[in-house]
Amino acid sequence: MRYYVQRVALAILLLLAVSMLTFGALNILGDPLFNILGPVAGDVNNPDSIKMIALAKKEFNLDQSLPVRYFIWLSDFVRGDFGVTFSSTGQPPVSGVVSERLPRTISLVFLAQMFAVLVSIPWAIIAAARAGKISDRISTINAFFLVAMPNFAIAVILKFVFSLKLGWTPITYVADDPLQSRLFQLLLPSLTIGLPVAAVYQRLLRSDLITTLQQDFILLARTKGLSKTRILFVHALRPSLFSFITVVGLNTGALIGGSIVAETVFRIPGIGSTLVESIFRNDFPVVLAIVMIVASGFVVINLLVDFAYTLIDPRVRR
Amino acid sequence: MRYYRHIVVRITVCRFATRHHKQGGNLKIYGQSNRRTRRILGATVAGLLSVVAVACGGDDSSSSDPAPTGTEATAPTDSGAPATDAPAEETPVAGGTLRVGLEADVDGLNPTASALAVSGLTMASAVFDPLFTFDVDGNAVPYLAESIEPSADFMHWTMKLRAGVMFHDGTPLTSDAVIKQFEITRLDPLVGLAVKPYYPETGAIEKIDDLTVQFNPLDASQYFPTALTAQLGYIASPTWLDALAADPTLEQQPIGTGPFQFDSRTEDSVTRFVRNDNWWGTDIIGPTYLDAIEFFPVPDPDTRTEMIQNGELDLLHTTDTNQFQTYRDDPKLVMSIDDNGEEYFLMINTAKAPFDDVRVRKALALATDRQGYFDLFNSGEGRMADQMFTPDSPYFNADVTQEGNDPEGAAALVAEYCGENPVDADGKAQCTDGKVNMEYQWSGPSVIATRIADFYNENWKASFNVTFDEQNQQMHIQEAALGVYNVVGWRQFGAENPGDDRVWLECRNIGGISLNWPRYCDDARDALIKTIANPASPDERVGLIQQLVQNLHDSYAYIFMTHSSWAIVNTDKVHGNCDRKSPDGAALVCSTNGRMFFQSTWLSS
Repeated sequence: MRYYVQRVALAILLLLAVSMLTFGALNILGDPLFNILGPVAGDVNNPDSIKMIALAKKEFNLDQSLPVRYFIWLSDFVRGDFGVTFSSTGQPPVSGVVSERLPRTISLVFLAQMFAVLVSIPWAIIAAARAGKISDRISTINAFFLVAMPNFAIAVILKFVFSLKLGWTPITYVADDPLQSRLFQLLLPSLTIGLPVAAVYQRLLRSDLITTLQQDFILLARTKGLSKTRILFVHALRPSLFSFITVVGLNTGALIGGSIVAETVFRIPGIGSTLVESIFRNDFPVVLAIVMIVASGFVVINLLVDFAYTLIDPRVRR
Repeated sequence: MRYYRHIVVRITVCRFATRHHKQGGNLKIYGQSNRRTRRILGATVAGLLSVVAVACGGDDSSSSDPAPTGTEATAPTDSGAPATDAPAEETPVAGGTLRVGLEADVDGLNPTASALAVSGLTMASAVFDPLFTFDVDGNAVPYLAESIEPSADFMHWTMKLRAGVMFHDGTPLTSDAVIKQFEITRLDPLVGLAVKPYYPETGAIEKIDDLTVQFNPLDASQYFPTALTAQLGYIASPTWLDALAADPTLEQQPIGTGPFQFDSRTEDSVTRFVRNDNWWGTDIIGPTYLDAIEFFPVPDPDTRTEMIQNGELDLLHTTDTNQFQTYRDDPKLVMSIDDNGEEYFLMINTAKAPFDDVRVRKALALATDRQGYFDLFNSGEGRMADQMFTPDSPYFNADVTQEGNDPEGAAALVAEYCGENPVDADGKAQCTDGKVNMEYQWSGPSVIATRIADFYNENWKASFNVTFDEQNQQMHIQEAALGVYNVVGWRQFGAENPGDDRVWLECRNIGGISLNWPRYCDDARDALIKTIANPASPDERVGLIQQLVQNLHDSYAYIFMTHSSWAIVNTDKVHGNCDRKSPDGAALVCSTNGRMFFQSTWLSS
C-alpha cells in the first residue's frame, strides 16, 4: 500500500510543478488584454478605453499578483472550473471547449494506440520467430522507415494515396456526422500517428522476445515438445511485455503530441489543434487547461503502468 | 484568416461581367459607382472588419490565401451569361445540401459585435437579409427595406421596412428592431468605430412609425444606402439580441430573417443552416431550393482544393492564386475570378519618423521592385496595381502610375534626407551610415510572408537599414490601429461605392485607435471626399474620384502592388449562384470580394 501512496503523492507533486511552471510562463510571455479588448487594450490615452481596460483586468483577475492569480486558478481548477476564455464575452467557458473537443482527441489517440498495439504484437512475434531471416530484415527496414518518417509526411502520403488517388477515405473529419462516419474519418488520422508508434513497439517487443526465446525455460518448453506457436504466445510473450507496457504508457503522451499534426492535417477540432490556436491567440486559460489535462492523463497512465508492473512482477513493490 | 490575391483576365463573372463601364457614374438615389463585384467596406462595419481581416494576411502573395476579388470564369462568356449557371433549359430542382469551403471560421455571427470578414459575411448572408443589397450595376437596391427617401439636402433618410417579415424566432421585423441593432452596433468598441464618427451622439436614428425609421447622419450623402448593404444592414432578431446579453454563447446561433436558419454548429468543423420554409421572400423573390447549407472552415487552401476535388465540397472561395490553374485544369470545376475588389499595398505610417517626411516615403516607393514582386509571388495570375481601381473602372485615373524600380532615385532622396541628420521626437537618429532606419512588419508565422520580407529587404537595403518584425495577426492589427509601425503589407479598399472607402482616409478617423491607419490627415482630401458623396452630376463624381486617386498617390502613404483576386469555384452540379433577384426584380451580384450568396442556388443530381 505504501508503494501506491508514494506513487500517487509523487504524481500530485509533479502536476503541481507542471501547473506552476505553465501558469508562470504563460503569464510572463504575453499580454492577454488584447484578446479580451482588441485594439482598445492599447488605446491607453482614451478615458473610455482606460475604463474598459480596468474592468477587464478586474473581471479576469489581471489586477492581482501572479501568485494570487495562480491560487485562484488552482482552486477553481481542482473544483472542475477551468475559467473563461480570454475573449470579449468570456465565452464559451474553457470547460465547454475542453468537453467538446477532448473526446475527439481521446478517440483519435485510443484508435491510434489500439492500432499500434494490435499491429505491433503479431508483427514482433513473427519477426522474432524468424530473426535474422530475410523476412525479418525486410520487417526491420519497414520499421525504421516508419520511425524515421515525420507524422506530417505520413499524413500527406496517406491522404494522397487513400483519399485523392483511390478515393477510399474522406479527407477531413466532420464533427456533426454520425458516429460510424466519424470513426471512419478517423482511420487515416489514427494511422498517421499510429504507424510510427507501431514500428517502435515492434522493434522493442521483437528484441525482448528474442532475448526471452534464448532463456532456459524456453529451451525446456521446446524439449517438452510444445508447439512453436504455443511457446511464442504463451511462454515467451508475457515475460517480454514488461518494457512494451512501459513504452505503451509513455507513448500515450507522444500520441497526443502527434495528434496535433493529425488534427491539423485532417481538420479535426480536437484539443491538439485547439492548443496550437490558443497559444497563438494568447488564450492562456485554454492553454493551461489543455496542458494540465494532457499532463494529468500522462501521469495517470504512467501510474497505471507502474501499478501494472506490480501485477506482472510483484517484486517491483519492494 | 488567410490572405492575398491577384487577378487574371477579366472575362466575365456570371451575368455581370460587362456591367462595369456601361454605367459609369450614374447618379441615382440608390446608385453609385459601377465597381461591380466590390463590396462595401467604407462606412460599414463590414468594411472595417474586412480590412482588419485583410491585415491579418498582411501580404499579397499567392501562396497564402489572399484577399479578394475579380472577374474571370473558366468558361468565359463575353455575353455576360453566368459562367456558373446551368444551361438555360435546365430547370432548378429543390433539395440537397450545399457544402461550402470557407477560408476561416468566425467567433460568432452577431452583426452587432462579431468581426465578420469574408467568411463571416458569407455565412451571415444565408441567415440574415440585408436592408439593401447591390444589383449588377452597383446600385444599392432595397431588400428588407421597401423603400428609402432622402431629404432635399441628403442629410436625412427615411426608410420604410417591408411589412409581414418575421425573424426565425417569430419576432416581427419592425423599426424598433432596426433601431436596437443600430444602437448596439454603435456602442461596440470595435465594430462601432466605423459607425460612431458618422452619426451625432443623439438623434442618429429616429422611429417614425412601426415600419419606418429615419437616419440622420452627420454628412450629406447621395449614396447613403450603400452603408446598409453589409454587416450594418444585416438585421438580427431583437429578441435574440436581448438574449445575447444574458448568454453570449448564443452568438453561435444567429437568428435573422434570411432564407436559411440556424441548425447546428461545431466550431472549426461545420456550421449547418437549413431552409427557412417561412421565408418572407419566397412569394416575392422566388423559392429557396437547397434543403441545407454546410459551411466548412478550411484555412489551408490546398486542403480546400483537395476537398472539392474529392467530392467533399461543392463550392469554395480562395485567393490563393497558386490553385487557379488546378481549377482550370479540372473539367468538373467551374471558376470565376474577380479582381475588382481590394488592393494589396505597402502601407506607411506617416505620423512617425522617418516616414513623416514625404521624401522618405517616396524613396521607399522608388526602391521597391514592383514588377519583381509580381513576377515572383503571383504565379502569373492577376494584375499589378497602380492605384485603388483597375483599368476597367470608370474611376481609373490613367495619369496615376505607381512609381518603383528606381533605386537611383530612391538613393538621391535618401541622401538628401539623411544629409539633414534628422532625429525623431526622442532625439533618436533616423539615419545610420547614410541609410534610413526603418522596420517592416508583417503578419505571421508565414513562410511566404517571410520570403516577401526578404524580397523587400533586397530592394530596399541600398538606401534603408531594414529591421523585421513578424507579429501574430492580432498584434499586427493592433499595432497598425495604434500607429506602432513604420511599414506593413496590407489589403484594403475595394468598396462597391468608392465613397465608402472614406473611413480609411479621413482625418476624423485618426485617434488613439485609427482606422486611418497611415494617420495621414489632409483637409483638402476630406473636402474632396465630402464632395464625392454629393456631386453635382455623375460625370463630376467620376472626376472627383479620379482626383482622390491622385491625392492618394501624392501622399505616398501607400505603395500599390497588386489587385487582389478572389476565385469562386464550384463543381458542375452547382447552379443558380447568379440568379439572385431583389424583391423589385433587379438582378443582383452573385459574389463580391469572395462573399457568396445562396438563396437562388440549386444542385443538380
